This record gives sequence, C-alpha cells and structure tokens, in this order.
Amino acid sequence: MAGGRPADDTPDRAPVTPVPLSVKLANELRALLDAAVDGVVVIDHQSRIETFNAAAERLFGYSSAEVIGQHINMLMPEPYRTGHDRYMSTYQATGKARIIGIGREVTAQRRDGSVFPASLAVGEIPGSDPKRFVGFIHDISTRKAATEALRRERDRAQSYLDLAQVMLVAIDSAGMITLINRKGCEILGYTEAELVGGDWFEQCVPDNQRAAARAALQGAMHGGGRALDYTEDEVRTRDGQLKLIAWHTNRVYDEHGHAIGVLGSGEDVTERRRGEQALRRSEQLLRSAQSIAKLGNFELHEPGGAAFWSQQVYDIFGLDPRAGPLELTRFGRDSVHPDDRDRFQREWRRALDETGKFDLEYRILRPDASTREVHTLAQILPSNDGQSLVITGTFHDVTDRKLADEEMRQGQERLAHVARLSTMGEMATGLAHEINQPLTAIATYAQAAVRLMDRAGGADPAELREVLVQITAQALRAGEVIRRLRVFVKNRTAHTETLDMNRLIEDLRVLAEPDARVNDVRLTLDLAPSVAAVAADPVQIQQVLLNLIRNAIDAMLEAPGAPREVVVRTATVGEEVEVAVIDRAGGIPPEVAAHLFNPFYTTKAAGTGLGLAISRSIIRAHRGTLGHRPTPGGGTTFYFTLPHVPGGL
Amino acid sequence: MKEKPATVFVVDDDDAVRTSLRLLLKSVGLPVETFASAQEFLDGFDAERAGCLVLDIRMPGMSGLELQQRLNDIHAIVPIVFITGHGDVPMAVEAMQHGAVDFIQKPFRDQDLIDRINQALEKDGDNRSGLKERDAIRRRMQQLTPREREVLDLVTKGKANKVIAGDLNVSQRTVEIHRARVMEKMGASSLAHLVRMVIEAERAT
Repeated sequence: MAGGRPADDTPDRAPVTPVPLSVKLANELRALLDAAVDGVVVIDHQSRIETFNAAAERLFGYSSAEVIGQHINMLMPEPYRTGHDRYMSTYQATGKARIIGIGREVTAQRRDGSVFPASLAVGEIPGSDPKRFVGFIHDISTRKAATEALRRERDRAQSYLDLAQVMLVAIDSAGMITLINRKGCEILGYTEAELVGGDWFEQCVPDNQRAAARAALQGAMHGGGRALDYTEDEVRTRDGQLKLIAWHTNRVYDEHGHAIGVLGSGEDVTERRRGEQALRRSEQLLRSAQSIAKLGNFELHEPGGAAFWSQQVYDIFGLDPRAGPLELTRFGRDSVHPDDRDRFQREWRRALDETGKFDLEYRILRPDASTREVHTLAQILPSNDGQSLVITGTFHDVTDRKLADEEMRQGQERLAHVARLSTMGEMATGLAHEINQPLTAIATYAQAAVRLMDRAGGADPAELREVLVQITAQALRAGEVIRRLRVFVKNRTAHTETLDMNRLIEDLRVLAEPDARVNDVRLTLDLAPSVAAVAADPVQIQQVLLNLIRNAIDAMLEAPGAPREVVVRTATVGEEVEVAVIDRAGGIPPEVAAHLFNPFYTTKAAGTGLGLAISRSIIRAHRGTLGHRPTPGGGTTFYFTLPHVPGGL
Repeated sequence: MKEKPATVFVVDDDDAVRTSLRLLLKSVGLPVETFASAQEFLDGFDAERAGCLVLDIRMPGMSGLELQQRLNDIHAIVPIVFITGHGDVPMAVEAMQHGAVDFIQKPFRDQDLIDRINQALEKDGDNRSGLKERDAIRRRMQQLTPREREVLDLVTKGKANKVIAGDLNVSQRTVEIHRARVMEKMGASSLAHLVRMVIEAERAT
C-alpha cells in the first residue's frame, strides 16, 4: 500500500530532458494518488485536509479545491464527527492510537449528505512535525451489501431449517456435528453451541449403539449407492432419555465430488411408535379377546353395502378375510343354514321395518359344510345424513355354549331320571300292590269261570261274557299302571307343554294313590274348580309332586297318631298356579329345615337326598318357586308355584 | 229257630277283587257276602252268624289287622283267612299271632283259597258246637241251689263226702243227697264227666 515514503531512483529515467527531482517526485506522487482506487486524504495535525485524491473526489462528490484546508470531519456524519475531535485530542495527548495501523469500518458522508460504509486505514506520516496523517478510504457499500445479503440468506436458510419440524443434522466424515437445526436441539435438549463441533456419536448416540452407528457412517462414507437412506435409530438426549428417530440420510459432497459427511433429517417418532405400538397392542388384545370370546363385530351400511367385519367374524364363518365381508343377501343365502333361513329373513325384516333391533340365534353353514350356532345382536340406526341405515352388531359363536348347555341339561335330566327311579323305588310296594290287584281279580275271575263251566249244566253264557268283560277291564287297568310307570321312569328328553294342573294331578293319582294306600294314608285331592294353564314338562312336574307326596307319606309314618291324610290342593295365587301338598304330621325340625334342599341330605334310611334338591331345580327351571310352610294346626305344607301361560289352554 | 248256613264274609276295598271272589265262591256253592270296608263289615256284624271272614290285610281306613283286633276285643270267634299282597309277610305273621286261621297271597290258586275257607268254616263249626255245649252246661249249673253249687265246687276239687260234710258243717248224709242232686241236674254220668263239664264251663270264650 502506498505511503508518504520517497521513492528510490528509477532505472528508466530519461537522460535527454532532465527534470528536477522534486518536480519529478511530486508528479509521480500525484499520478500515484490519482491512479489509486481508494480515496486518499492527508490531514495536518489540526485535521485540516491537505491532500484529496481523485478517488476521494469520486467517493465524496467534492472537488479537491472544495475540501483542501477544510476540517476532515466534514466528511463524517454525526456521531463520528464529534467523536473524531475527541479522538484526535486523546491521541495527541496520550499517544494512544485506536485506528493507526489498524483500520476500521466507518461511516462517511458525501457532499450531498448521503452516507456510505467505508473502511478506513490511517497512517502517521513519518518525520512530520507537527504530525500529519494519511487516510485510505475504501467504499465497502457493495461488500457490505453482499455480506448482508449472504447473512440474510444464511438466516433465511437457518430459519427454514428451524422451521422444519424435523431434526436436521449434518456431520462430517469424522462424526463431528457441523450443523444442527432448532428442532434438533429441541429434541436432544442441547443448545446449538453445545452440539456443533462436538462428536455426534459420543454425545447423542446411546452407548450400546455407538459402534454400530459409527460403522454405518463409515460404510456410508466409503460405500457406494444412496448412503443410509431410511433408518430408525435411537438418540440419547441430554437428560439421558432415549428417543426413536426416523432418519432420512444423504451424503454431502464437496466441490470435487468427494463425500465429506452426511446430512440427516430425523423425525422424533417415539410417541408415534409408542402410539402405534399401543394401538397395535390394543388391536391385538381386541382380536385375541374376540377370538377367545368367539365374538366378532361388524358394521354394515344399507343400502350401500359398505361393510366391516372383524377378523373373528371371518373366523366364525370360515371365510377368507381377503374376500371381504359378504353382502347381506349373499350372507342370508350362503352362510345362514337352510333350515334357519326363513327365520333369519323374517327376523331381519322385522328388525329393519319395526324394532330396529336384531337378536337371533341360528345356525350357520361354513364352506367346509360344518355348522355352528351363532347369536347375532345388532342395532339399526339411520346414518348421519339420513340416507341409509347403519347396522352395527356382533356375531357370537355360541356352539360350545350350546353344547355345554345341552350337556348340562342332559346331566340334569339324567339326575332327574335317577331321582325318579329312586322315588319309584320308594313307591314300589304300593305300585306292585296296584298291579297285583287287577292281576288277582283276573286270576280269580278266570278260575271262577272255569268252575262255572265245569258245573253240571255248564255256565250261563251271559255270566261268562260278563266275566270276560271284567277280565279285560282288569288287564287294561294293570296295563295303565304300567304305562304310566313307564312314562315316568323312562329316560327322556324334557319338553314343555301347556298343562292343566288339575288334570295332571288327576292323572298322577294312579301312581300316587297305591303308595298312599299301602301306607294306610288317604290321598285327598282338593282341586280349585279351574286353574290357569301353565307351561311345563308334565313328567318333571309329576316327579316333583310325587316326591312331595312321598315325603308327606313318610312324615306321617313317623308321626303316629297324626291324621293319616295327605291333601293335594291347587289354587290360583296372583299370576301363578300354586300346588300345595299338605300333611298333618310332626312338622320339620329347624335343624332339618336348614339342610332340606341340600343335595344328598336325607333323613330317610334309604333316601338319596336328591328328591327335594332336584324338585327345586326343576321348579326353578320352570320359573317357579318351591318352598314349605307350617300347616295350620300342625304338619307341613310343601308348595310350588308355576307362572300362568298367557292365553291359557 | 232256623240257623242260617255258614257264610263267607269277604272284606276287600278293591271292587274287582271283591266281585271276582264273590263269583268264585258262588261257583263252588259257598254263600258269600261282600263288604268294601272293615267298618261296613263291623257295622253289620252279628256274632251269632256262622261263617268265616276273608279279609284283605291292607285297606284304607280300618285295615284288616285293625278289624281283627276289634273282633277279638268283642270276643267274636269268626275265623279269619287273610289275603295279602307281596311283601306283607310281617303283617301276616302278626295276624297269625292274633289268631288268624291262615293267610294267602294274591293272586292265588282258587283251590288254595277254597281249602283255607273250608278249614276256617270247619273251625267255626267246631267253635260253635263247643260253644253250644258250654252254654248247656252253664244253663244246668245255673239251676243248682247255692248249697248244691258249693258241693259241686268241693266235689270237683276231689274232696271226699266226709271232708265236705265237715267243711259245710252238715251231715255226711246231707252231702250225699246234695251230690246226687248235682249229678242229676248236671246230667253227669260219672264224677269224671262232671269235672270235665265244670272245666269246659269255666273256659274263657
């Protein structure tokens, strides 16, 4: 940079026209100054302008004539203007220079008052006394603008980075963080300054994954192809938390095309994965719950057909989920068992047209030709726009439950059967007697007939005929007892009939009375003139009655002196028919009453202890109650009730 | 007084059994009367009528055994043939202990029943003839004077006339006269006969 130093002799000096050296130096200096692109201003110790070169004229818009001898601060806007004088006096007094030899950026003021940024370099002219100074002024407006533009660009880029809701991290080939955006800082819990320049792997990768991550970076640096692409890896935050980041990573190249690092954009998917996992888990739970319960759910839009079936529905129906749900008509045609199709359609119609609810158990046919029992519950609601119906509901495979119910029912029937046999066993004496009576009559009639025929003159045909009629009647009588006995003890399937209780009791007399008779007990029927019909299994109800009558008879045997009479009474009580078996025996001791209905509890030497327990379960199954109360005047009344059948017989 | 012939009284609550029995017994020429309950029989009971009872052991109300007890209570002597069902052996045993002639299980062979009935009727006949003889002895004994009765008692105890005279404080001759009167009034052919008549008269009926 030019200074005020005198130039040395020059070798190309012209020998023909000698010019005095001082003139020659002054001319050269002038030329140098004017050729300089920077403004050059020389001031004296009082800051008066001595020299003002061409570049300075261009910069400030003053001619040199206008400024020579003027104070330098005319070229400065406030506050530099006042600052200058203070600075100069400080420098001259203390010798402390803040600009000299250093240079600084200043703001200069043009003639027209406008200002521009400039860099100012100041030198003290050596040997001058009082001191003189030369200043070099360089307009840095363009450079400033460019720098400013660059800065703005960078800020904008940074703000883009910061705006991005993903974490952006650049690391060089050694693993040093060269860039990280705000989101990245946020996720990791560090400030940018704490991260940039640090080792990514040491700082942000969990210990157990560090080696692998480094290896992956090296692979990305030296391997070909598209670097790391998409990965999900954990990062360790400042407070030691692990977060799962989904990374898209690309290599970064220098101007020569060499990979110098990687740039990763990462998304914190911890919550999402957790949510997804929770969702998956709850879906799995729901699915396994449906599978365990054999309960599938569905939704159906009608019309429109858009439908959803849960996996379990496909499983129940044995259909392939890939084929999607069956539409309703096809479902009714293909999946509902042919025997239940009409019922299904009818109920479906009723649900659509009337009730809005569907509740039906029916059989389905699976593609492998097996059948299952299904219970469908559905509700039908109009869609939000009112244009269609939305049907939501469940399919429940109740096959196993039905089987279990059936087994239980069969078990109970077997038990009831055993109890009936046992009751019959207790009544055997009476029943044997009851059959023996007609047999005796038959034998006696027949022998009498033989004797009549053997008599001299033979038998009167009319008399013989009468005997034969009697024999027939007695044979039928015996047959009837056996028939009723057979019905009673036969192993059978329960079925419900609409019954007239009075008639049932009359019919039972054939079985009950012999037992009473052999025990010298009178069986009296006290039947209400008319009782409402009940729905019941006739044999089971007879079983209960016989059991109660037997118990009453047994109670009489243990109460000598009590009136030997058992009364069976029917009555209508509210909405129920009550049947009471009344004895006049000794009543039930409290300690016996407490266990009365316990299975296998018995006070009889040969009892099974099943009679009352089974009787009660039979009556409960008929939605009735069985209990006992004291008979007024002594004894016990056992009773059971059965609900009326609406509509009657 | 014309005696009715020995009758078979049938008591059974079962119509068919009762009716068939009547027919059977009629067919062998036995007079039969039937009753549907023990009470009915008891109400029409006449101790004087000869015959036997064919009695169902099990009946509602008064059972066969109870009827037997009632008849025993009134010293009725009518012989009883019980008819029983299966498994009524304990009751039959009890009936026999109380004097029943026999029992027969239902259903029965007609001849077995008829045999038992005939046996019962025979016993009734015996009872009744024995009863008649006792009645005659008692009537005769009632014709004795108190003194003659005293002599009878002592004679049948085997005391000699001399001892009796001492006991009664009368002469031996007087005793002899009373004794001859007793023998005459009682129709006794010997002392042994007289003793047998007294024993018979004192038998409980």
